[in-house]
Formats: sequence, C-alpha cells, structure tokens
Amino acid sequence: MSDKRNSETLPLAWIMPGALLLLWQASSSLGWLSANILPAPLSVLASAWTLTLDGTLPHNLGVSAARAVAGLLIGGGIGFGLGLLTGLSRISERLLDPTLQMVRNVPHLALIPMVIIWFGIEEEARLFLVALGVFFPIYLNTLHGIRNVDPQLIEMGRVYGMSPRRLFRRVILPGALPSILVGLRYALGIMWLTLIVAETIAAKSGIGHMAMNAREFMRTDIVVLSILIYALLGKLADSATKALERRFLRWNPAYRR
Amino acid sequence: MSKNNGAALTLSQVTKRFGDTPVLHGIDLSIAPGSFVAIIGKSGCGKSTLLRVILGLEPASGGSVASDSDAAHARLIFQEPRLLPWASVAANVAVGLGERGDGPDGAAAARQALADVGLTGKADDWPSTLSGGQRQRVALARALVSNPTLLALDEPLGALDALTRIEMQSLLENVWQAQGFTALLVTHDVGEAVALADRVLLIDAGRVTLDQPIYLPRPRRRGDPAFAALEGAILERLLDASVSAGSR
Ligand SMILES: Nc1ncnc2c1ncn2[C@@H]1O[C@H](COP(=O)(O)OP(=O)(O)OP(=O)(O)O)[C@@H](O)[C@H]1O
Ligand SMILES: [Mg+2]
Repeated sequence: MSDKRNSETLPLAWIMPGALLLLWQASSSLGWLSANILPAPLSVLASAWTLTLDGTLPHNLGVSAARAVAGLLIGGGIGFGLGLLTGLSRISERLLDPTLQMVRNVPHLALIPMVIIWFGIEEEARLFLVALGVFFPIYLNTLHGIRNVDPQLIEMGRVYGMSPRRLFRRVILPGALPSILVGLRYALGIMWLTLIVAETIAAKSGIGHMAMNAREFMRTDIVVLSILIYALLGKLADSATKALERRFLRWNPAYRR
Repeated sequence: MSKNNGAALTLSQVTKRFGDTPVLHGIDLSIAPGSFVAIIGKSGCGKSTLLRVILGLEPASGGSVASDSDAAHARLIFQEPRLLPWASVAANVAVGLGERGDGPDGAAAARQALADVGLTGKADDWPSTLSGGQRQRVALARALVSNPTLLALDEPLGALDALTRIEMQSLLENVWQAQGFTALLVTHDVGEAVALADRVLLIDAGRVTLDQPIYLPRPRRRGDPAFAALEGAILERLLDASVSAGSR
C-alpha cells in the first residue's frame, strides 16, 4: 500500500521544484534576473564542476565534514555521558543538572566574540562551538529518555534477577534510545547551523569560508553552491538518523514500514 | 518440561507496615509443596503485598517467611505482561533464564517454553504484534522457562476477555500439573479461584479470614452444582468481609 502511494506521489512532488527551477533558469537566460542577484542554475552547476576539478570543493567539503563530525563526537559524547550519569544517579542529577539547565539558556552562538578571544580563528574555536551546540540536545534527551523508561519494565528486570549492568543493556538503554535518537536529530541540525556561522565568521577553509571568499569577488554562483551544499549535507545527516531509527527502533510500530 | 518439586512455604506471624499504615497483621500459613493456592479479598486488603513479601521483593516488618527452595527459583507474573518491546518474543522468554538465556541452549529452552504455551510460530515476532492473551502467554513462558519451584501470579488474567481468560485458566492448570510447581494465584474472580485452586484463602484487613480447601476433581466444570455451591459460599464470605470493612 505504501509502495503504491509512493509511486503516485513521487512524480507529483517533483513537479513544483522542477517548474520553479525551469522558471529560474529561463529568467536568468532571458536577462530578467541579474547574475549579481541570483546566478542561473546552470552556472551554479558549472562552477560546481570546475571547483570539483580543481580540488577546491572536495577539499573544503572534507574540512567542513571533518569539523562537523569531530564536534559532534566531542560534544555528543560528553552530552551522552553526562546524560547517562544524571539519568542513572540521583546524586549526579542533583549535583549537575541545575547548573547545566542554567547554562543551557545561553545561546551558544552568543559566545562567538568570547570564543574568538580565547581561540582566535583556529580550529579549536569551531570545534568548541559545534561541540557546545550539540551537547545540550543530546544531554537533555538522554536524561529524559532514561527517566521515562517504563518503571514496570525495570521492576520486571529486577524481579527476574538482572544485574545492574544487564538491566542497563537490556532495559534502560533500549528504552531510552528513541529519545536519544530524537536528541541526535536535533543535534545534527544545530551542528550544521553552528558550522555555517562559525565558518563564515572565522575560518580559513571550509564551505563557509569558500562562500565568504566568493562574496568578495561577487561570485554569486559559488555562494549559492555553498548554500546548496549545506542543505545537502543537512539532508544527508537527517537521512542517516532516519536510517538509524529504522534500524534500532524496528520493534516500534511507529518506525516500521 | 521437566517435573520439578514445588516449594513448601511456611509463614509465621508475618506483618507488614508501610510507614504507620499496617497492611498485614500476623499471617500464619503453611503451604504444601506443589499445591495450588488462590488468594482473594477486596481491593487494597494486601494481596499483592503478601505475594511480594513471600517472594522477598518487600521485606516483612515482622515474622518470618521460610521456604525449602531458594528465592532464585521463584517467579512472579504481573497483571500486565511487561514484555520488553524491543526484544523478540523468544528473547523475552529467555529473560527468564538470566545469563543462561544468551547461549544456544537458552534459545532452545525458550522455544520449548513457547511451544508449551501454544505459541510455536511466534518466536521471532515483536511483542507489539501479539494480542493481549498471546502477550500474557509469553509472560507465562518467561516465568516457566526456568522451571520455577514457586510461581506467584498477581491477577494475571484480569485484563483479558472472558473467553481468553477461560483458555488461559486451563493452560495454567495444565502447565501446573505438568511441572509440579507451587502456585499462588491472586485473583478477583471467585470462579477462577474455585476452578483452579486446591485451597482458597480470603484475606480481609490484613488477616486470613477464610481457608477453604477445594476437593472437587479435575478438570472442574463450572456448571457443576458442587462447584456452584462452593463458589456461592465463598462469594458470600467475600461480600460479608466487604460490608463489615465498609461499616468499620
Ligand atoms: N509501596 C507502598 N507504600 C505505601 N503503601 C503501600 C505500598 N504498597 C501497598 N500499599 C498499601 O497497602 C495496602 C494493600 O495494598 P496491596 O497492593 O497489597 O492491595 P491488593 O490487595 O493487592 O489490592 P488490589 O486488589 O487492588 O490489587 C493498600 O492500602 C496500599 O495503599
Ligand atoms: Mg494487587
């Protein structure tokens, strides 16, 4: 049934973007739209090709992706660890959670001037911002997920003689996983957003830097290309979490199709 | 299924308080190995508490519970199936085996236990795809897979429809006869108690106020006049208890 729906809606869904793209290309070709305002789709495509050939695009893409992944691993790892700690131990929760909840209210991008003073525009500055940005969604959702594991299942695990370790692996972690994956999805969104800001303000490489560089020479085609690449990377990350959800939450009818 | 000896239980002067609220007042009981005992009583009289104290999930406030079999061989079935939704049916049954459930012989034992409760084809399904009655069967298999000497059931069939209930009752009777464990069944349904038990205990205000042996031959038939007479008499006592409790 769902296959049939897909095959019917898929072509329909592509009509609007296709028409818009055609309209855009036509306006550019007919000279209604100046390249300084918005470049033609074909010239964006052409610059993607040349930048790929001369290595600029792959290099900057690699740099940005490496930053994103490193920041996610550091911030997400710490967030997950602290989320487990506060979720599993009341003492840690009382000790850490109020402070973290307070710090959470500071928008991490507001720290940029401070971060530039601390780290300059070195790699650490970007890593720090991305890590800080992804930390909170992962921390909060891990804590929330553990707190909301069905207490009846935990009691069942105890009655059936599970050791604390086994209880964690078999009951608590799988029970918290849906919430943790929601946190991951939020974190990925924040990760790209932070990287865009950090790379456009303070960087010597990366997609954001490529865009800012192009702006100086009025290369709107490269600016648009950078924007599209960010969109693509965001979409890619989202699909990856969806795949994780389908893999790990198969048991949940809501994720099974 | 291997035939196991049931546990013998002796409770002497067991009391239980939650804070200042007394729930059980000096319960003396001796339960024969392999017997089927039903516990009835109005809501809040302390049936679940009694089961939990017997299983050692709650410490008694006074008195003692002695068993000739160790606590690791006791199993509890809850009112809800409490299956792990992220584990397959077979993996849920293997939970009953503890660490041993991880190995290949554990998997084989889980499948055998599923066959014993009539769920052979469901081993690899997710619990969410089962009906309520099937889920409670999985919970039964999980409790039985480790060959317990004592099986405590806290209103396990309360959430099921009448027909599924009767099916589950005969399944329960069959596995009990096959395995020989001691069964303690808490129920609200006097008919269920008379159909299954060797002995019906009525708890009122934390005391055993009726200890009724049931000598009817098995399998029991509900239409039977002796059955109906016993059921009526016990129901009468249960209602009396409720009325006197209400007027206190
Ligand atoms: N953990 C607890 N803390 C405080 N009071 C409790 C606790 N558990 C049970 N009680 C109290 O003990 C009394 C008996 O509870 P119990 O659950 O044993 O009743 P029950 O006979 O099983 O009732 P039902 O038939 O409704 O399940 C109730 O008044 C209840 O409020
Ligand atoms: Mg109860």
